[in-house]
Amino acid sequence: MHSFWYRANALLTFAVTILALMCAMASITDHLNVPQPQADVQVSNINWFRKQPNGNDEVSLTLTISADLQSTFTWNTKQVFVFLAAEYETPKNSLNQVSLWDGIIPSKDQAKFSIQTTNKYRFIDQGSNLRGKEFNLTLHWHVMPKTGRMFADKIVMPGFGLPQEYR
Amino acid sequence: MDWEGQKLSEHLMQIMLVMFAVVAFSTGYMMDSFRNMLLIYAGGTVLTMLITVPDWPFFNHHPLNWLASKEADLNPKPKIQPPTLKRKTSKTSIK
Repeated sequence: MHSFWYRANALLTFAVTILALMCAMASITDHLNVPQPQADVQVSNINWFRKQPNGNDEVSLTLTISADLQSTFTWNTKQVFVFLAAEYETPKNSLNQVSLWDGIIPSKDQAKFSIQTTNKYRFIDQGSNLRGKEFNLTLHWHVMPKTGRMFADKIVMPGFGLPQEYR
Repeated sequence: MDWEGQKLSEHLMQIMLVMFAVVAFSTGYMMDSFRNMLLIYAGGTVLTMLITVPDWPFFNHHPLNWLASKEADLNPKPKIQPPTLKRKTSKTSIK
């Protein structure tokens, strides 16, 4: 019974069991990290604002997005997915979320950024509710680990508004 | 590999793997590098494999000494007779 391959098998089985244990412990250390992310978003311009022929409101914005998500990175972080959503209330739905921009941050060095961009995805309301609408811009992020569970969090920035008239 | 060698090989394997795991985890955590943890552990596993899997001479320092067989002395093997002589005798016995 105690042959070369028996010993090789016993060693590999034990090694993989320990590896799984190490990965579980690495994922536990993620809970020791208390991130203190910061984000700031400005609407630098409303490029145009119109009603589509089918009756839906659409607006094009130029956004300045600054964020520091470096503290969300740990040794067990593969990447961070971040997206900016406009959130507002309409008579029909208490929460509408429209994703305007997103990005993948592959490393800690790139987690502190400031960019100016027009909205990457179209800001269209399902209806004609955007005139004079107050909305929040919310920066959501998902911390994707190498092993273990994924963490999600957000920063809500209230106090943005759209003009009363199309332009 | 003898009995003592098997015991030694298994203990060595377990102790070395656990030690490499502890070293790899703490180094990786302190260096903030998951990759280094995996590399150190992979190296440790290969080293452990090289030391404990092959049948090295130091696993054979306690050979099992069998007692001499008494039965063999009591029943010696019959002497092999030359084939030509054997054939002759059998022929005569049939006649």
